[in-house]
Amino acid sequence: MPKGTKPNDEEIRIGVYTCYCGGNISDVVDCEQVAEKLKQIPNVIVSRTDMSMCSDAGQAMIEEDIHEHGINRVVIGACAPSLHEKTFRGTVARAGLNPYLYHHVGLREQDSWVHHHDMPGATSKAIVLMNAGISKARLLEPLEPIRLDAAQHALVIGGGVAGLRSALDISHRGIAVTLVEKSPFLGGHMAQLESVFPTDGDAREALHELIDAVLSQANITVHTYAELTGISGYVGDFQVQIRKQNRGVSPDFQAFDAAVAACPVEVPDEFNYGLTTRKAIYRSYPGCYPDIPAIDWENCTQCEECLKVNGQGISIRSEQETLEINVGAIVVATGFTPYEPRKGEFGYGEYPQVVTLPQMIRLMALNGDDEEFRISERPVRSVGMIHCVGSRQIPGVHEPMPDGNVNDYCSRVCCTATLHMANELHRYFPSMHIFDVYEDIRTYGRGHEEYYQEASKNMVRFLRFHADDAPQVIPADEGDDYPLLIKVNDHLTWGEEVEVPVDLVVLAVGILPNPIEDIINMLKISPGVDRFLLEVHPKLRPVETAVPGVVLAGTAQGPMNIQESCAAASAAASKVAVLLAQGMVELEPFVAKVDHERCDGSGQCVEVCPYEDAISLETMTLDGKQVTRAVVTPANCAGCGSCVSACPNRAIDLQGWTLDQYYAMVDTIATGMPQLEVTA
Amino acid sequence: MPERKLTVDALVVGGGIAGMQSALDLADQGYQVGLVEKEASIGGKMIALSKVFPTLDCCSCITTPKMSAVAHHENIELLTYCEVTAIRPNGKGFLVDVVQKPRYVDVDLCTGCRQCEYACPIDLPNAFDRDLGAVRAVRVPFSTAVPQKAVLDIENCILCGKCEKECPVDAIDFTQTPEDMEITTASVVLATGYEITPRDAKDEYGGGRYPNVVDGLIMERLLAPTGPYGHVLRPSDGKEPDSIAYVQCAGSRDETLGVEYCSRICCMYAIKQAMLLSGALPLADITIYYMDIRTFGKGYEQFYQNAKAMGIQFVKGKVAKIEPDENQDLVLRVELIDEGSQVVERTHDLVVLSVGMLPGYDPRQIYQVPIADDGFVDTPSPNISPSLTARPGIFVTGAASGPMDIVDSIVTAGAAAAETAAYLQARGNGADLNHNPENAQERLHEHA
Repeated sequence: MPKGTKPNDEEIRIGVYTCYCGGNISDVVDCEQVAEKLKQIPNVIVSRTDMSMCSDAGQAMIEEDIHEHGINRVVIGACAPSLHEKTFRGTVARAGLNPYLYHHVGLREQDSWVHHHDMPGATSKAIVLMNAGISKARLLEPLEPIRLDAAQHALVIGGGVAGLRSALDISHRGIAVTLVEKSPFLGGHMAQLESVFPTDGDAREALHELIDAVLSQANITVHTYAELTGISGYVGDFQVQIRKQNRGVSPDFQAFDAAVAACPVEVPDEFNYGLTTRKAIYRSYPGCYPDIPAIDWENCTQCEECLKVNGQGISIRSEQETLEINVGAIVVATGFTPYEPRKGEFGYGEYPQVVTLPQMIRLMALNGDDEEFRISERPVRSVGMIHCVGSRQIPGVHEPMPDGNVNDYCSRVCCTATLHMANELHRYFPSMHIFDVYEDIRTYGRGHEEYYQEASKNMVRFLRFHADDAPQVIPADEGDDYPLLIKVNDHLTWGEEVEVPVDLVVLAVGILPNPIEDIINMLKISPGVDRFLLEVHPKLRPVETAVPGVVLAGTAQGPMNIQESCAAASAAASKVAVLLAQGMVELEPFVAKVDHERCDGSGQCVEVCPYEDAISLETMTLDGKQVTRAVVTPANCAGCGSCVSACPNRAIDLQGWTLDQYYAMVDTIATGMPQLEVTA
Repeated sequence: MPERKLTVDALVVGGGIAGMQSALDLADQGYQVGLVEKEASIGGKMIALSKVFPTLDCCSCITTPKMSAVAHHENIELLTYCEVTAIRPNGKGFLVDVVQKPRYVDVDLCTGCRQCEYACPIDLPNAFDRDLGAVRAVRVPFSTAVPQKAVLDIENCILCGKCEKECPVDAIDFTQTPEDMEITTASVVLATGYEITPRDAKDEYGGGRYPNVVDGLIMERLLAPTGPYGHVLRPSDGKEPDSIAYVQCAGSRDETLGVEYCSRICCMYAIKQAMLLSGALPLADITIYYMDIRTFGKGYEQFYQNAKAMGIQFVKGKVAKIEPDENQDLVLRVELIDEGSQVVERTHDLVVLSVGMLPGYDPRQIYQVPIADDGFVDTPSPNISPSLTARPGIFVTGAASGPMDIVDSIVTAGAAAAETAAYLQARGNGADLNHNPENAQERLHEHA
């Protein structure tokens, strides 16, 4: 018998606790009355309240009751179980009781938060919900968590700065890492940056240092041009399939320049956000990781021109191999993509003088040490930068994106990045006029405000617009000195309509999550309303998803700058270390259990089960007879209950949520108890 | 020779949310952790808050379980009411001198029953309630304190002995003296947090002289269910306010105060408080005077838009001056930038200064850890390794490394734990974390 189990024939002694939730519940529900009424229910030995039951004092009170009053079942009415069910299981276990002899009633989400307009009604509902919980508690049985060996190996999806940082931290804890990067090259968007705030350091230099560190760890394996194609299993023991694309170019290939010259295919170069072109055989940038070129199979025409230059070391046949690895945890570091303005949005796609900020960073890099900055063959004397393009959008004001979404969030990095660019422009081209058209300047980070101050000192002119009165980019009259005008009602100067003549417009575009529907579906994780991946709780479990063993790193979760991405990536690594470092993971015991006396081996449960290898038919000997019975593999069972409803013999139950427990709760709710009615 | 000795893998300094989370993230990985807190309870600034943005969870619901987890964790040694007085290198780690300040209460005996508190005749301003309301000279620090042990304020005690008489377990001990302790640790995590702009910082805003000009933390206590009045009342006369003004950047982005940085949290806490106030005082008008609204975090912009939709007024303009009138109402002189930049005077009956964050602690002397120009702990590689300090083996988390909110503090706590764990692991293996970059590209060739 597991530790803390009470014999079945022992008297049921229930402790009932109604939490104020710091006012969240008690502002609506009369918790004292609830506690008083519940005392009348059979088997209830104590019924108490507390301002916050989850506090140390509240938990100590429950522990003391278990010791002093021989409480052997605990019912707590508080916030949602997702928040503190585990907290209270710990409390109950510390007092020596089996942690599953406890039932959590969600009085906050299911009652006080939804009935704040009806206080007596909410109090009455609280009593009913608690009473139902008590009915279930009478039938609770001790359970043990499922303990499984954990693979000392993590998968990191994404080879940008967050994925790299996470991989490095995990490997430092002695856990092996496999990192997969979809593109042929490591580094993500950070590789496309030049000088970065708040250090003004070189982005690729910092990135390369990190990549070198990752590659010097013997227990990290990096696969570029590779992606996740399948997954099964559960925390501690995931089987993942990785499809790896061949590069078509071998490491010792020497004639890259000649092959590039020979290749007749020209496609927009994503590294420069389409400002330049590249060939179908390419490197993302000189000095990239790996330094081996790759063939872009989508665009290669197999014309064999490159082979004619030097056949050694090139293969123009696209080949894939599938790798299977066993990992204990998965880090999702799939990153972001910059918002692409619609054609015509602030003149983008209509006028060549309108570019996005990421493009502008590349243009500056391509411009090199030139003393003049030209666009469309004209020197740029005046530049306008417009903030919040694709961010902070308002439904009904902003036109939705093709997928129907409106980006109502702040993209966090663009204000500082824009001012950083403004200052760079001033530094390289001191005579350039710079106009900054903004809603709010959000230079919130450490060392960010300095960029704003410096921009003011650099005579950057600020103009402020309101979201529902956005600036317009219009062509100047024929013969004008400047090709474009930014028309804005400037709210810093009486809402005056100002026309700013410019040679160049830079759009500070926002951040969108990368399109990763396939990964979301495979891992069964969820995006939030903003389409970024959703954490369990921003403060309690900020980098964990609802799927045990799957954690988030970097901008897959929301807009972040490099610093914030690295912090989140390291935090994700901490969680992986906590999960795997002990070599074992614990799963909840809420899984199906078959009563082999009742089971007749009909197999209907196997048919309806949506999970792989969770329930199967096996031949066994029962009372000396060979029979076929359903058998559950607890690690694969998600506790969905489909088998319970399919079973014609009532032979299956979910541990911790049995049909009898449900019946008891429903009966209690349906019948009510007159003595429990609310008194005004 | 100190009587108490302790050997740990990591010593976390500061028991606020960042320190607690770092300690938990290290202890959960199996490391032995010491957590030093100078106050009599852990919980830091966060435990005094009402509800927290952007989820509006009750603050205790997030903080107290973490406090409890720290207190009960088998790998964490909790040292409250303790201060680090010296730290010196010791082989590959550190030797840390810690002094246990006398509580004048035997913590092994005290049950937290509060009989001493009820017996004590001395009423003092309650620092936990930002000096609103009263506490006794001997008390359990606050209702959710961890540990639930009394502490006696000897400065204000008249030695009447009533508490000693009432204590059922004879835990009061007037003879306690500071006790030295020596901790051997391999690493240190600084989680020393922040302080807020002093109330008297800005003379233009009354320099702390007007009772109805409060700061954000006072408003937190007024809004908290455990607060001093159980209701939002203005301090001068207990009137329920019906026109409340928030003055943003009252201590941040202000060259005259030498605080040129943005404090990051004030926009969101002002908006959050405004929302909670509209619930607590449905008839009150609430106006937020701001320079820029900086709701940059996940879900924060949507939070701001909800506040606007709830009828909270947002006015762009920097408040130049606050003066009281004969009713103790406050007259604000402000430039209404959106209304032709006219300068007007507006009267509100309660003003909340959205004060900023200042460094909580200067680690230079004891820890030999440099600070940056802003006074917060310097982080030499802020982008890739934000929790590294300039001194190997000493890491930083939370607001000790610059203003940040709870969400960001918790994330950096996890990051500091990862960085510390990596350091400990390398130290244990005799390896170092200096990487050999020579064969980096070749390693990629293996799997190309």
